[in-house]
Amino acid sequence: MGELIAQALYSGLLQGGSYALIALGLALVFGTMRIINLAHGELVLLAAYIAYTMESKLGLGPVAAIPVALVVVCVASSTVYLLVSRIREDREINSLILTFGIGVILTNLILLVWSADVRSTSSSWLQEAFVLGPLYSMRSEVLFFGVSLAMMGGLWWWLSRSWYGRAVRAVSSNRDAAKLMGIDPGRTELVSFIVAGVLAAFAGVALFSYGVIQPAYGAALTVKAFIITVLAGVGSIPGVLLGAVLLGVAEALTVTLASSALQELAGMALFLLVLFVMPNGLFGAAGRRG
Amino acid sequence: MNNTFKRLALAAALAAGLASAHAEEFLVGAELPLTGSLARVGAGMQEGIMVAAEVFNRNSKHKIKIATVDDESAPAKAIAAVEKLASQGAVAITGGYGSNNIAPASDAANKLGIVYITSGGVDDSLVSSGRKNFFRINNTAGYEKAVLGLFSDMGVKKVSIIYSTKDATSDLAKSVQKALEAKGVAVAEHSFDPAITDFKPIVNKVRLQDKPDVIFMVGYENDYVGILRAARVLKPQVKAMVGVWSLATPKMAAEFPDLMPNVYGTALLPFPATFTTEDGKNFADTYKKMYNKEPDYLGQFGYVQSMLLFEAIARAADKGTVKKGGIAEELRKTDRDTLIGRVQFGANGDNLNFSHRMGQHQGKNIVIVWPKEHATGKMAYPALPW
Repeated sequence: MGELIAQALYSGLLQGGSYALIALGLALVFGTMRIINLAHGELVLLAAYIAYTMESKLGLGPVAAIPVALVVVCVASSTVYLLVSRIREDREINSLILTFGIGVILTNLILLVWSADVRSTSSSWLQEAFVLGPLYSMRSEVLFFGVSLAMMGGLWWWLSRSWYGRAVRAVSSNRDAAKLMGIDPGRTELVSFIVAGVLAAFAGVALFSYGVIQPAYGAALTVKAFIITVLAGVGSIPGVLLGAVLLGVAEALTVTLASSALQELAGMALFLLVLFVMPNGLFGAAGRRG
Repeated sequence: MNNTFKRLALAAALAAGLASAHAEEFLVGAELPLTGSLARVGAGMQEGIMVAAEVFNRNSKHKIKIATVDDESAPAKAIAAVEKLASQGAVAITGGYGSNNIAPASDAANKLGIVYITSGGVDDSLVSSGRKNFFRINNTAGYEKAVLGLFSDMGVKKVSIIYSTKDATSDLAKSVQKALEAKGVAVAEHSFDPAITDFKPIVNKVRLQDKPDVIFMVGYENDYVGILRAARVLKPQVKAMVGVWSLATPKMAAEFPDLMPNVYGTALLPFPATFTTEDGKNFADTYKKMYNKEPDYLGQFGYVQSMLLFEAIARAADKGTVKKGGIAEELRKTDRDTLIGRVQFGANGDNLNFSHRMGQHQGKNIVIVWPKEHATGKMAYPALPW
């Protein structure tokens, strides 16, 4: 039983890392602009399909697809922002409807271009076992867990140390006051969306490397990312990692100790429990003030 | 007066006779998931339907026109699709995928009094809920027979079943479990939510706790890839990996060459496919011409169900009973050898003769290994993909 639980914790940790990478972009935009980008999962999926195309057509490994995925997904993410920025009233509500629609359009574009077939990497190196004593994982999972940590560190540094990062936080805190300080809110929000695009590009390539992709997966990715964002507490980057790992571990332990059919239920139970005990999430604003 | 009446009666009789013998065009609705989670299988079935229409129109005086509506893999949209097609004048519906979509869609067809034929749902409740105009050409029993036959040939003593909690997969897993236990085979079962992406915790339980001879997977393409990947990492000491639909296909061999070697799945034909009958050759040639690829099992099932429907429509048209329940009546009289074997429909609309075969990925080929009378090669056992 000890070996089973150790493997569950390890699998949950790695799964949590991948969840965190998927959730980061959504958390950034939600935390800084109060916009829930419901097309975020589709942006992640777009990057995954670019990795698939590079591998199947050019024989390049998924990692080599990152530069192309970055360009395409950042352009797509910027386009989403340009459309959202046209909203003049009730931006928080109307952006929900708009980004949902963009997500549907993106799903259908992916379907048209790449068909409905199930895709995944054929790189045996990425799929080979990485053995750590009694613990097993795929190489790709460990690789992208490291990438996830690095991206989180980079994002934290950018938000706390760079001019644009601080501008993003200033706009999020008080848009009008930020204007008075010489910050262009529109440009700052665009930068947020571009950074979210960068995160989505890495997440998509990672997803293609250790998982399976299909055009309809985008919505499920968005839901998972949204749960983690709320679990983390709006605007908290460490909260995203903790929330994602908690979710991953809870799911893996449920599979091991109870039934795999209850995995999603366990995730939702954790989500509700955290919100009941800590209504602002694990690292929500109220908690930070305290 | 008397002569006038006679002439009018003669003219009416001639007109009626001519009408029944006259070539007609019929609109048939195709309700399919072309987007959403079942888009892949829906698109495969659609190809078969279109090939059937092409072949039928080439060889029949009556013509079939297909109108397709995407049900987006959603039950409510499936109902709306059937109603829309009926309002456009469709005389019958072919298609449907996923028992949870087919059930409400076929209910809608039943209310509208039109025939609904499918190969996309194996849930037994589809044929036990009193739908009068419902027909299907495959069922759980046919899949179960093939899996049990293979396990019997292997002489397995212990099986771990990993299955999706969806209706069709649960039904099949439970049926196989009961049948195996009745034969004295030990069975451990692990259901999984369709949203699961990491199968390592399940496969690890199988490896450390169950220690079976065989892992039996009941899911869909994405599930098989996930389970096989987890197994490749954890390497459980089993003798074979066995699955059901959508697994022993040329597409899976081409897309996942490292995961598929030695894996078993249901397959009616070996790959490369060899068609010996006239019908089979017509299907394969037309399919290749229309889609520029080798036909797969989804196309094959879509073709058979649609061809049987079109033939029933033609017979009903000749009798002038298309709008008087004649299509269902003609389908009930069906007794025909097809690409999937002999098809006859029982009173509940289920195919009485359906039995699947088991194939194994061997190199780039798919070899039929069960039943013996249809085998095209010997099974590699014990043998694993890793």
